[in-house]
Amino acid sequence: MTFEPLDRTIDRRAFLARTAALAGAATVGGALTLPAAAHATPGGAPRPAPGGGHQPGGGRNPALDRPEAYVQPRPEALADPTELTLAEAAWLIRAGKLRPEELVEAYLARIDAYESTYQAFNVVLADAARAAARDAARRPHTGPLHGIPLAIKDNYFTAGVPTTANSFLFRDFVPPYDATAVARLTAAGAIVLGKTQMGPLATTRATTPDGVITTVNAWTPTNPGTDPGGSSTGTATAVAGRLATAGTGTQTGGSITAPANAQNLTGLKPTMGRVPLTGIIPLSYTRDHPGPLARDALDAAIMLTAMAGEDPADPRSQGLPPVPRLIEAATPVYAGRKVKLRWKTRIGVLPGYADGTSATAQARRAFLSTLAAIPGATLVDVPLPDEWNLLSGTAFNNVRLVERTEPFLPYLRTDLRGFGVSVTSWLQGALLGGPEFVTGQRAKLLFLERVLNQIFDVCDVVVQTGPVPFDILGLPEIGFPIGFTSAGVPIGTILGGLPYAEDRLLSVVAAYQAVTDWHWRRPPNPPAAPGTRAARGAAAATTPDATRGRLTAEQVAELTQ
Amino acid sequence: MAPTPPTDAELNVLIRARLASLGIDLDQLPPGTTADPETGAPGRDSVLASLRSFVRSTVGTLAAYQLPAPSGTDPETAKALSQQPAPMLYPSISTTWRQS
Repeated sequence: MTFEPLDRTIDRRAFLARTAALAGAATVGGALTLPAAAHATPGGAPRPAPGGGHQPGGGRNPALDRPEAYVQPRPEALADPTELTLAEAAWLIRAGKLRPEELVEAYLARIDAYESTYQAFNVVLADAARAAARDAARRPHTGPLHGIPLAIKDNYFTAGVPTTANSFLFRDFVPPYDATAVARLTAAGAIVLGKTQMGPLATTRATTPDGVITTVNAWTPTNPGTDPGGSSTGTATAVAGRLATAGTGTQTGGSITAPANAQNLTGLKPTMGRVPLTGIIPLSYTRDHPGPLARDALDAAIMLTAMAGEDPADPRSQGLPPVPRLIEAATPVYAGRKVKLRWKTRIGVLPGYADGTSATAQARRAFLSTLAAIPGATLVDVPLPDEWNLLSGTAFNNVRLVERTEPFLPYLRTDLRGFGVSVTSWLQGALLGGPEFVTGQRAKLLFLERVLNQIFDVCDVVVQTGPVPFDILGLPEIGFPIGFTSAGVPIGTILGGLPYAEDRLLSVVAAYQAVTDWHWRRPPNPPAAPGTRAARGAAAATTPDATRGRLTAEQVAELTQ
Repeated sequence: MAPTPPTDAELNVLIRARLASLGIDLDQLPPGTTADPETGAPGRDSVLASLRSFVRSTVGTLAAYQLPAPSGTDPETAKALSQQPAPMLYPSISTTWRQS
């Protein structure tokens, strides 16, 4: 009897291709060999890929070719294209009833009128967006993202466009290629309308590198004291304020779900690896999750479908389960005229989630009641796993800080002041030793086992009172609106899921949004402000207004994601 | 017997020496407790105070943590058995290959 040694079963060609791509990604700044993703251009030859045909960098993504991605607009949204959801705009564009140029111009007009108040953008690429819209009008239709203007967080590489991460350290950085997620979105037809304000190096709510508050919550534009959520603040404000249809964020410690909750949006932080990190300025490499900020679950599903999938340049994205059918999952299903859950789902409720008399507690109780009334949903009480507070608390959360120190050592040696108000946590990471770091990594697996065995043994999704535990574990979370305070400030909540269960999370939120109207509400326009900006060329950020307040280094050290 | 907790002065030396061993000179920051007016970077005394607190809290908590041994383990053998759990940088990703 003969048999082959195990090494014969390895796909040598695929291995070499991946290795070459990784080597290319590692040489940025030197003799540059771009990762495969960087070469992806719209119309580039699609590559076969596992999981439903998602391409490494660009090319047509057949998973976007779903009829559910196109939704006939609400009558009240037809008067103003900026009111349209992504799926509604896609429907109009495909039907030839809305031209991409019209959509871009509508957003530029709002930017012209209100950006000086919102301060959502670092740069508005007005002329480039117009050119892309004209090009989109001439090209064959590429799917639901065809001609859709997006706001891109300023830590995503954009070829030839400055990518600053709101830091002095990157103020002159012009990436030579697009982040894989950006390449995929534009290959699907999306238009980069601008790069958005963020917490410096993705640490806090959006400020200048020296701490001056920039971006306001779109629901309280005259009150900079209202938390707009961070660090993907600019993207959230741009989408909530109808300056873009949807956008991208990154989450290391709540930076997608927090701004989604703060600004009445649906934000989806996928499982670690689901969206490649190639071409994104790192904060903490085991915790950084790219994902969409959108107006509802379906829009988030369309965005994530475009962004997700294996990338030869990011090993974290390889060998994962196939990307599920997110767009279908985010489409409500009905039994007769009544919405039901697409899949029977047990919703875990952690102790204390809806306790108290606060507006948030009341909204949470109403949310649970509404959810429980949807056929297919079952609420189940779940316990906090053993040592939950310890293993997700400050010390074990701080294990991530080593990861921000290591890739920034060249900057720490030469330009400490260049970190501005954010420097402290980078120095803290330098003080954690190897044994403490390994203890943290051993605790992660223990923590995951407890979450799987003590929570998910009796439920399929679980409410969260904060994002950090599932950020530590790399588990998916979705933030979405469930009400408002008496002052008109949005209240949101977070659901967490099993690894790669983005489809389950989207299905639950889609059903909830089919029976509620929180996600349809938009903030009123801010008062007219002097100093509006001309939406021409590539308009730079509005001059910061020091009267909005300033975070100190001590505050940033406490707030950092 | 547990060692005597370090004093502020000892921690300052430790912190500066550790940073220096990585090539980081804390004196790049402004002296005292006043932030740099141009960049907002904190004064070095403010940072040292924050870093001392970090070492005392986070480092101490992590260093003191012992991974649990199976329930009912004799305390005499718990220390040895607590060495067994594996570290995992990407726990969610590991579920894929652990279940395949």
